[in-house]
Amino acid sequence: MKRILLVDDAATVRMYHRDILECAGYAVEEAWNGIEALEKALQSPFDLFLVDVNMPKLDGYGFLRELRRLEIPQMPAIIVSTEAEADDQLQAYRSGANGYLVKPVSPSQLLTHVRLMLGEHSQ
Amino acid sequence: MSASYQHSESVPEITDEDFLKFKEFFYRKTGINFELTKRYFVDKRLVERIKATNTENFRGYFALLRFQPSGEELQQLTNLMTVNETYFLREEYQFKCLVNSILPEIVQRKKGRDPIRIWCIPSSSGEEPYSVAMYLQETWPGIADWDVEIISSDIDTNILRRARAGRYSIRSVQHMPAVWLEKYFTGVKNEYQLCDDLRQAVEFTRVNLSEPADTLRYRNFDIIFCRNLLIYFDDLSRKTAAEAFYEVLNPGGYICLGHSESMSRISPLFKVCKFPEAIVYRKALEAR
Amino acid sequence: MAFVKRKAMEPAPADVPKQERSCAELTACLEDSDPQTRRQAAREMLHFPDVSGALVSRLRREQDAAVREVILTTLVRLADPSAAAGMAECLRSEDAALRNEVIEAIGLLSGDVSATLRTLLADSDPDVRIFAVNILDSRRQPDVESWLIEVIEKDVHLNVCATAVDLLCEVGTEAALEPLLRLKVRFVSEVFIQFAANRAIKRIRGV
Repeated sequence: MKRILLVDDAATVRMYHRDILECAGYAVEEAWNGIEALEKALQSPFDLFLVDVNMPKLDGYGFLRELRRLEIPQMPAIIVSTEAEADDQLQAYRSGANGYLVKPVSPSQLLTHVRLMLGEHSQ
Repeated sequence: MSASYQHSESVPEITDEDFLKFKEFFYRKTGINFELTKRYFVDKRLVERIKATNTENFRGYFALLRFQPSGEELQQLTNLMTVNETYFLREEYQFKCLVNSILPEIVQRKKGRDPIRIWCIPSSSGEEPYSVAMYLQETWPGIADWDVEIISSDIDTNILRRARAGRYSIRSVQHMPAVWLEKYFTGVKNEYQLCDDLRQAVEFTRVNLSEPADTLRYRNFDIIFCRNLLIYFDDLSRKTAAEAFYEVLNPGGYICLGHSESMSRISPLFKVCKFPEAIVYRKALEAR
Repeated sequence: MAFVKRKAMEPAPADVPKQERSCAELTACLEDSDPQTRRQAAREMLHFPDVSGALVSRLRREQDAAVREVILTTLVRLADPSAAAGMAECLRSEDAALRNEVIEAIGLLSGDVSATLRTLLADSDPDVRIFAVNILDSRRQPDVESWLIEVIEKDVHLNVCATAVDLLCEVGTEAALEPLLRLKVRFVSEVFIQFAANRAIKRIRGV
């Protein structure tokens, strides 16, 4: 079972994404901010990261920059942001993101992106 | 009136939704995530505090926890939800990490023969700094080549006096290997007295971590043990303490927190660092 | 080799702050090339009046995260109106790290920041309004709920409302139930808002 780490400080958002992903057969873990996400990424491997931008202590971009420096197998990450401008998207890619979604994300949109990133064929 | 009715009246109820609400709040504040299997443990303590604070029900108590300006009740509850006792070799995996992973790294980078400097805060009654000294003496080959300075601080001068005296209950030493116990302690009635050699190995000082003037003289440390202290601080005191640690540490220096603590709730100043034995935190090597 | 002790905890000369530095000297030190000098200056400026402007001005340009942390701590302890206003202005920064540091710092300000929050909640940029709700989150004021209700009744932007609903899960009472139901109607085709509002309603009802 593929493992996904949800990184967001809003419990509602984590729960919403968790419900969608678990129903689609993924194993999901959560982190409240970038530092906790790094701790979890160092402790066990994930196949994909779903990352909010604005979080306390370590934001999504900061998390990705640190993640990409770690000596662990590098897996894809999707930034999930409230900001829809091109600048924001470019900043996400420069920080090491592989995908960019704007909140709120519909269930089908989320699953399409996740499957794409994981190299799975969408049904 | 039936007995069961009386019972339900005297014990405040925690519903499933109440539990989830509390669980999320506590996780956000402390990083401690209670699984459903801990439900009984959590409920019992919540009920205890609801009674002690006369808040009558969960709703009233949660409002106190959430909005109290001093944050005192959250501190009280955190205390109850975490095991806060000190004894020799508590959280031993971190001492293993110190010897097997952290010290080799630090020694490799040290220029010249400056002593390796370790700060243990809070000192409490001394079990932790003495454990560090003993652990190094017994398990770290490098002790033959390097000078080590261990400084241990606390805000409470009474506890510092006890730490210097080095006298402990049987409970305090129960996790120590028998050979170490025999080597470093003598039995005095119902207690154990730590030997002078080890007592001399640690310098005890008084420090208030939230007061920048107090920490000004602490510089050039390689390792800080700060276990089970910051979790009880309010947000601003945590922030100030983390900034003090940043000044105290050499570039590349390490911080070890307690088992249930995470830097994710404290400060962005330090890097996460994974060793086989533990996750610790580090001031960046290039930091100035 | 062995365990050693220093005779005293004597500081290295460089670590001792120079006695009685003037406000002008400290402000100049904020521009020093050495981050340690900048941190020390920002720390010492706590003891002077009217320094918030200079600190905020440095904060906006400061690249070193550790210096920013110390500047923010001093601003939080100063807690004067220009500290609050200056930090609030940083919420518009392109730098995500600075924005989030400022959200946390404003949340730590003691005293009444209602005026600042009012202005932020009325900002034309929905992201700034989201940050204002984030700040409400960290404030320990029981009237938080009435602010959140106002947001979910009036704000036109879905993500602003969603952020407020997340917080209502924690601080909401029966007073929020009707507004949450109205929100569901207002965003009837938005799956996420339906999910979030249902979750908050369940939490508030407690069963």
